[in-house]
Amino acid sequence: MKFILNYIRKETWSPYVAGVLLGVVGIAAVWISDSLLGASGAFENLAGLIGQAAAPTLFDNMYFNFIMPPGITVGVILLVGVFFGGMIGAATSGTLKWGKKDAVNSDTQWKRIFGAQTWKRWLLAFIGAIILEYAAGIAGGCTSGLAISGGMLLAPAAFLFIAGMFASGIVTALVIYRKNY
Amino acid sequence: MTNFITALVLGGFFGFSLNKAGLTKYNKIVNVFRFTDMAVLQFMMTALVVAMSGLFALRGLGLITFPAVPATYVVGNIVGGLLFGVGMALTGF
Repeated sequence: MKFILNYIRKETWSPYVAGVLLGVVGIAAVWISDSLLGASGAFENLAGLIGQAAAPTLFDNMYFNFIMPPGITVGVILLVGVFFGGMIGAATSGTLKWGKKDAVNSDTQWKRIFGAQTWKRWLLAFIGAIILEYAAGIAGGCTSGLAISGGMLLAPAAFLFIAGMFASGIVTALVIYRKNY
Repeated sequence: MTNFITALVLGGFFGFSLNKAGLTKYNKIVNVFRFTDMAVLQFMMTALVVAMSGLFALRGLGLITFPAVPATYVVGNIVGGLLFGVGMALTGF
């Protein structure tokens, strides 16, 4: 018992242990609520909800009517859970930086490559996130929704997506890091 | 309503496992593309194998039916994946 409690307090688990936990959660999602884990879809549901309130004609198209219907879906609630789950994870290991000075930009490796300014971190995260969400829209899911949830149902789409993701990720890292690669 | 509560709890465990595996950190994500830290792959593949064997065993026992499997459209999946990798290496998602 004490061993388990101590392990929960560790900041970084063995990825194998954390992976088993996620695998069990994935099974539970299908078994209990007959749904798949996913993150990117929820943002589209929310964007659709906001968009239909602000500009109904612009959002009255195929995509938002049939593929990603707007509204507070299970995915949106799941995302809220992910946020708090991550927070609990950080709190148990004592690394929760809520309200601390370096909370938004504490990654030393990031600072070494891009510089110490916080606005840079925010700007690049914003641009990168737009790319991420757009790409997830094209592919039909993100790392969790397509690669993991699709992969565990042995969907061919998931493995095509993983291949593409790693190919371009490696190239992008090469471009960013150049000599430091 | 119960559906939402289970989603909240499932999401909680999902976020917890992501945090503990270190996937909420920029350096973990980008280092997998530099082949210096393979935690992301180890985590993803472990989750895949566990969930895969569990789900197919449960389906074999007739306890669950699979939800709609993500659609395969080869070009879209690959192009989406290629774009996604760029965002992933930039942001550290």
